[in-house]
Amino acid sequence: MFLELTEEQKLIQETARDFAVNELEPVAAGLDQSDDRTPMLDNLRKLAELGFMGLNVSESYGGSEAGVIAFSVAMTEIARACASTAVTVSVNNMAAEVIQAIGTEEQKRAYIPRICSGEFTAASFCLTETCAGSDPSGMMTQAFDDGDSYVLDGTKLFITSAPYSGIYVVWAVTDKDAPKGKGISCFLVEAGTPGLIVGKEERKMGQHGSATNEVLFQSCRIPKSALMGKLNDGFRTAVAELAGGRIGIGSLGLGVGLAAMDFATRYTTERSQFGQKISSFQAIQWKIADRYTELEASRLLLMQAAWRKENGKSFAKEASMAKMYATESANRACYDAVQMLGGYGYTRDFPVERYARDARITSIYEGTNEIQRVIISREILRNFA
Amino acid sequence: MKLLVCIKQVPDMESRFKPNGSGTWFDEADLAWRMNEYDEYAVEEAVRLREQLGESAELTVLSIGPDRVVEAIKKALAMGADRAVHIQDPAVADKDPWQIASIIVAHAREQQYDLIFTGMQSQDRGSAQVGVLVAEQLGLSCATTLVGFSYENGIVTAKRELEGGIKGVARLRLPALVTCQLGLNVPRYPTLPNIMKAKKKEIAALPVDGLLAEPAVAVTTSFHPPAKKGGGVVLEGEVGVLVDKVIGILKEKTAILR
Repeated sequence: MFLELTEEQKLIQETARDFAVNELEPVAAGLDQSDDRTPMLDNLRKLAELGFMGLNVSESYGGSEAGVIAFSVAMTEIARACASTAVTVSVNNMAAEVIQAIGTEEQKRAYIPRICSGEFTAASFCLTETCAGSDPSGMMTQAFDDGDSYVLDGTKLFITSAPYSGIYVVWAVTDKDAPKGKGISCFLVEAGTPGLIVGKEERKMGQHGSATNEVLFQSCRIPKSALMGKLNDGFRTAVAELAGGRIGIGSLGLGVGLAAMDFATRYTTERSQFGQKISSFQAIQWKIADRYTELEASRLLLMQAAWRKENGKSFAKEASMAKMYATESANRACYDAVQMLGGYGYTRDFPVERYARDARITSIYEGTNEIQRVIISREILRNFA
Repeated sequence: MKLLVCIKQVPDMESRFKPNGSGTWFDEADLAWRMNEYDEYAVEEAVRLREQLGESAELTVLSIGPDRVVEAIKKALAMGADRAVHIQDPAVADKDPWQIASIIVAHAREQQYDLIFTGMQSQDRGSAQVGVLVAEQLGLSCATTLVGFSYENGIVTAKRELEGGIKGVARLRLPALVTCQLGLNVPRYPTLPNIMKAKKKEIAALPVDGLLAEPAVAVTTSFHPPAKKGGGVVLEGEVGVLVDKVIGILKEKTAILR
């Protein structure tokens, strides 16, 4: 057993950390409190130039071919500075990977290099709908076969990066008479396609730098060549690709949790009450011990899931475990970080309140943690049936 | 044109340091390592010159140390160096600047490099001697603490940082050696594809035994420092005098005023 990163993985981690400290951290608080996304969009372009948008994508499509472990450690470092940038990078990587996994050669050549190079600022993953969240098989968006084209009609919800996306991966019902979850297909829709309308932006609790919008399809006509993967087989793809995305979001959660605990722990060594540093109180020490232990366990779960994916082994259960545990550890870390700063923790003068708001969504998006538990227990019970 | 850049791997300066068993250096266990900051300026400047000269130039990166220094070597390769020399020495920290320079010279003498870049100093030992000792032993023209660099038709134009915020310009004929200071450039981030491609570049591993003939000239010993008496400097005088003093200190000690 070998628990050390390779030299390449360490260099990627160092590059991500240096970039995060120098470029992302200085603008993170501003992005949280303003509507101006220019600094984040500039940083996304720079991250693309450095190769962070296709970490696990083949070099022949413009990716870095650095693997899943490198993806995980990079996500954590980016999220330590800015969760909004991190979630955008995670979704871009996921979109590039899904096109690589099931796209035709033409689709791969047309879109993956533009995601990796930053020509597309972002890519979007359009699965969720008003009545199809944890249960995407209940989706209503339909794609009608109209001879030489498909016509999309329906509304997608909570779509990350929608206003500045170059390409949308869209799931829609292609056979409404099929059994539940069977008649769904996956399509690639380019930004600017008539009938693709970016709707209202959600006003969220955190991750303000990252836009989350409704995306409407109103008689949106796309060529037959926009179908990705097999007709009526899109649901299986969605489920498979979300598992990879979970490593990204778990790693993001770990980064936010570490940022919160690092800040709060340093604070406790500087803040005095009752004539001593508050880090000398057992009440604080136990928080430090518990939260860092959980974050370290999260890191190991993430590394295991990433290693399994990178080595072609099954990883759905491990990715769900890592996502669930890392994001819940991150939320506990942020809760305690605010507590350790006391009243100051609740103010915007310190970053922990932002971390706490940014972390909250991580147990919800990319599959709620309730759904992760369904996946984990199903995989385990299968061995006992 | 043959270019060489010499780099050192040093502990991350955010680390918590503790003395080693003999009390003459820090304990290296559990430290995170990275390329010496001043060497990053040297690598960046060397890579820029390599790009300026195109295929007619070849840039070699050299580092002395245990296996872990390969990580720093790979960073330089990812930033744009063509090939690398790793002089394997698990006991590099025990050697003084004269010995380190002698090891580099033993390799460089036969390679006949036209231009050598080093950092101004290392962040851990900070002797600022290795570069100039290499130049002296090889008989190269040399300029230190560069904050500006250009090259044309066999002439290096070096803008040097002198004491008290003053700059000087020196012109050097090749072969030459320059040492690089903060402010010379902003080192690039290595791109991820280049980090992965660096795996395929040549890293020649040479045991230090065949390259070091010189004994140490510096004596290293262990002693207990006197108890610390309050830090900082208290400035006194009229406001105008105080301002002049602060500006003087900022110019001399920091990168804020140049």
